Amino acid sequence: MIPSDHFVRFYNEVFKFLDEKDGLQEYYLEISRHQEFHCLKDFREKGLRGVYDYYLKIRKEENCDLDIILNDGELILKMNTCPSLSKAIDNDAGVCPKYCLHCPGWTAPLYQKAGLYQIFDVMGIENPQCIEWIYEAPERAKAKYKELLKSRPAEELRINFEL
Amino acid sequence: MLRYQEYNELHLDFHGTTNTTLNYIAEKYGVDALKMILRKTGRDVYRSIHDKLAAGDASELIEHLNWFFYREKGKYRLSVTENEIILEVLECPAHRHLKKLGMEISQYSCLQTAEINAGMCEDTPWHSKVEVLGEGHCIQTFTKEA
Repeated sequence: MIPSDHFVRFYNEVFKFLDEKDGLQEYYLEISRHQEFHCLKDFREKGLRGVYDYYLKIRKEENCDLDIILNDGELILKMNTCPSLSKAIDNDAGVCPKYCLHCPGWTAPLYQKAGLYQIFDVMGIENPQCIEWIYEAPERAKAKYKELLKSRPAEELRINFEL
Repeated sequence: MLRYQEYNELHLDFHGTTNTTLNYIAEKYGVDALKMILRKTGRDVYRSIHDKLAAGDASELIEHLNWFFYREKGKYRLSVTENEIILEVLECPAHRHLKKLGMEISQYSCLQTAEINAGMCEDTPWHSKVEVLGEGHCIQTFTKEA
């Protein structure tokens, strides 16, 4: 048994293998489908409140230093210390350089199915931090994206909607 | 002393993601690819256990087995002699959680254990074996060459 505490270090080895096969994107979609089982109904029915509630559970169970800010029509998830990347870094097998991409990789299609619009700033593997903004209205997501582009390069931002 | 030792909250749903991943890799890339990833995980992620076994020290392996099955509230018996470590898992915590989630347990679930254990032992005087006795019930044996 891989202890649940050590799952991310196994995940990290899976990413290394799949990256060599150019298979990461397809795997993210498989994980996204898997996560539908845990999240999609609540995300669809409760919208941002459903995402908020899910991350309250994740913050506790995964021991995240995470700010979850729910405003009217906007949810901000500000990961101050990501426990997942922290473990992948604190790892004798070494971190996969694309480790962080799994997060937008599985969440983006899931939010899309739930009718939610996401902007994700992965920030890179040097520091276990990231931030994402999620909206119910596409206009607000587009406006936020344009605002963020003034201070960040486009390649650092991932979005799940058409401009 | 354990190289990785967590004390805080558990996210048991990771067993579900592991289960999905085992099936995905085996079905898309083949069982040998899955074995390779698992064995590498056993050898490289658990390098500290591996290197100690290579040096004749099984202390971290014993602590690892005991700590994580205890932490996940598994039902198990661990017995240790100089040249043999036997872990009998009476109720696998991963299988228990998968059943709670209503997920079908991957046919590769016990292969996961066998290959991780084999990776820890690779190129050391220790050998591992997993005998599956029933659902969530197995005997994991680590034997040191005489």
